Amino acid sequence: MTILSLTLALISAAVIAFTACDNNDDDPRDMTPPVITDEGITANPINCQTYHRGEVIAFNYVFTDNGGLGGYALEIHNNFDHHSHSTEGDHDHECDDDDDHGDDHHDEGTPWKATFTYEIPYQVKRFVARNDLKIPADATPGDYHFMIRVTDHAGWQQLKSVAIKILE
Amino acid sequence: MINLFLAAMLTVVSPPDTTVTLQNVTVKGLRQRDYQMRSSQSSVQVSHDYLQQHFAGSLMQTLESIPGVKAMSIGSGQSKPTIRGLGFNRMAVSEDGIKHEGQQWGDDHGLEIDQFAVDRAEVIKGPAALIYGSDAIGGVLNLYTNHVPTEPFSGAVQLFGRTNNEQIGLSAKVGGRHGRFFYRANATFIDYADYHVPTDSIQYYSYYIRLKDQRLRNTAGLERDGSVMFGYAGYHFHTDVRISDSYSKSGFFANAHGLEVRLSDIDYDRSRRDIDLPYQWVNHLKVTSHTVWHNEKTTAKANLAYQRNLREEHSEPISHGYMPTPDGTLERRFDKSTWTAILSLCQQLGERHELNFGASAEYQHNRRSGWGFIIPDFETLSLGAYAFDRFTICEHLKLNAGVRYDHAQTKIQSYHDWYQTPISDTDSAYLQRSARLHRHFNSITWSAGINYATGYWVVKANVGKSFRVPIPKELGANGVNYHIFRYERGNAELDPEESYQVDVGIHWDNEIFCVQVDPYLNYFPNYIYLNPTPTFVEGLQLYHYTQARVLRYGVEAQASWRMNRHWETELKGEYLYARQRSGEKKGFTLPFSTPWSVDADVKYSYDWHGEGFFKLNAHVVGAQNEIVPPEKPTAGYWTLNFSAGKDFSLRGKTVKLTLHADNLLNRRYYDHTSYYRLIDVPEPGRNVSLMIGMEF
Repeated sequence: MTILSLTLALISAAVIAFTACDNNDDDPRDMTPPVITDEGITANPINCQTYHRGEVIAFNYVFTDNGGLGGYALEIHNNFDHHSHSTEGDHDHECDDDDDHGDDHHDEGTPWKATFTYEIPYQVKRFVARNDLKIPADATPGDYHFMIRVTDHAGWQQLKSVAIKILE
Repeated sequence: MINLFLAAMLTVVSPPDTTVTLQNVTVKGLRQRDYQMRSSQSSVQVSHDYLQQHFAGSLMQTLESIPGVKAMSIGSGQSKPTIRGLGFNRMAVSEDGIKHEGQQWGDDHGLEIDQFAVDRAEVIKGPAALIYGSDAIGGVLNLYTNHVPTEPFSGAVQLFGRTNNEQIGLSAKVGGRHGRFFYRANATFIDYADYHVPTDSIQYYSYYIRLKDQRLRNTAGLERDGSVMFGYAGYHFHTDVRISDSYSKSGFFANAHGLEVRLSDIDYDRSRRDIDLPYQWVNHLKVTSHTVWHNEKTTAKANLAYQRNLREEHSEPISHGYMPTPDGTLERRFDKSTWTAILSLCQQLGERHELNFGASAEYQHNRRSGWGFIIPDFETLSLGAYAFDRFTICEHLKLNAGVRYDHAQTKIQSYHDWYQTPISDTDSAYLQRSARLHRHFNSITWSAGINYATGYWVVKANVGKSFRVPIPKELGANGVNYHIFRYERGNAELDPEESYQVDVGIHWDNEIFCVQVDPYLNYFPNYIYLNPTPTFVEGLQLYHYTQARVLRYGVEAQASWRMNRHWETELKGEYLYARQRSGEKKGFTLPFSTPWSVDADVKYSYDWHGEGFFKLNAHVVGAQNEIVPPEKPTAGYWTLNFSAGKDFSLRGKTVKLTLHADNLLNRRYYDHTSYYRLIDVPEPGRNVSLMIGMEF
């Protein structure tokens, strides 16, 4: 019995010693992911938007976070095979399929593929992102995905996927 | 005096290979206490009878009823063991004393052992580096397949099925002993269809996936296992050789390979039993040999093993990032060979001391191919030696202490992409994903403990240090993990992960009531953690391997009450707390933190033309709000489960029937520790498993 009480006492003492500093009234942990929104601006691009080759996509979204934003990345890749990461909630299909699905022009030009990464200044909680992205003049026409990824300082990430179409 | 544990307790019944003539209940009880007194660590023995009686569809699901043990479902019908929240390379699985070497680092790699060849199992909770070396931080799952047959010819056939994934299986074993020579052979065949989940659709990142007939597309699979063993069992000398092969093939959920939501031209709904892309297959070949020589005071053992783990993952070729559409479907292939040698010597010194020495050597050689890169080619060599002493002060008080030294070398080969990535407006290059690296690691580990028995009590305490050599992925990764859509970067500077743990086991038993409480306190000065950062690399979030101080503590408790000859009831539960105490995620928990859980059982046993039982179980799991990016909180849930078993005698042969009905109410819930949690796939719905076994 003495050994029992002794070991129990030891364990409790150790646990208390290790955790005593844990009882923070204000939890320092950031448990909230950042937000991608069109609050106060006209967001661009939006789902099913069409562009022509050689045009500029005037990217414009607002990112907010409770603790402080980290960075963001934009990625464009083709969706000729109609795989999907849509976050727009339009079930099963994103927009209308390629009109030219079947007799496609997908061997014409080079499929546009690009990633752009940007940092957001430290401790900024609301950031209006504006970037001009030029669509290459030789981009293969068809369906593309425009992926928006935003992180906050704690490492939370928010995604938004926008389906766009590039016309000749 | 400690007597027989309650039947519902897991820790009953000594191993079948040593109970040949010891059928007396009192003797069994004493043996159980001997077992408790033999090691100061918290350990649980699981007998062959228990495994059969509680068969829940798979070995890991059966073992999940042990507090502190979880089967982490990793998709595609596979599950991985975790002990006290630690899995992957933080626990070891051993078969007949030899560490099982698969691709245990991976998220979607299962056990790769013929679970029906397993005679009995033992779970060691807590650090076991002293005997097992690297990786045995959380504990060890010991599986034994080396029961020596006692009859000239004996065998068993088991036929089993489960409704949820329409699984059918057949396992057969034969064995025999002629004089001092013996043999045994096992074969197992399992086939299953797509998993059933209680939902019509899955919503993931607002993407909406409709399920046909509530089934997870393309999660069907099959398994084929076989083994043969020959041996000589003399009075002073025993030797055996066992060859086993385990093959399995299973599909990955077609709508989300990893975290990627996918549409495909493949008609997955054509059949629920076929395996389309993406899928994996794995073949694990093992040749092991065990030799033991002993006399009254000395026991010497030599274990030798060769293992080859070959795995391929196939998926539809699709371009990703700057990777063009690859040729063929081979996404990843791993070919890992492991050679192991373990020597040990146990020497009795007088009445009181039992000295143990051991040395082990292990060499691993791993080669990869396929268009997806995740771990580099590597070779590792590890050498270890240990010594420990068990000191019996008196029958009721025993001490033990030991020390071990390990040296490990890891050589990582460099790897460059097979495609070019733009590095400026005009230039592109074959990027290096893994640099050539050669590192040496040294570790000293130790352990000390005490066992004390008095009256109805057995009290154990153990303190120990264990370690883990960083794996090549942690040291050398540098690229995109497309299954999880993140950029993972290794850290060539990582130190061996160390862990200190204090364990206490308190046991009280008076034949009617039995109480067991196992608290522990665990501290890592340098837990290796894959930290999500705010930075983007190649358009994806960078996850970087770092080391952080981590504190964990928890408790498992169980209490049972044997009301009378027929009725018994049991309550058991577990709780685990984990906190990162330094680094960028200071204050956060660790990924996949196990929530608290409680099980309440009522069991009715009877004897009517053979033994039988009915058992009702309520499984209650708390909510998990302790999360770390990128996890989401998981709500609590409870399930109602029923099981029954019956032995029949048929012309002198024993026929055993086992029924297990899980999630009777077909409740929809999420398991915080499941791989599928990240893509919002609920756990399987109602499931009935049935097994019919005949021994001859």
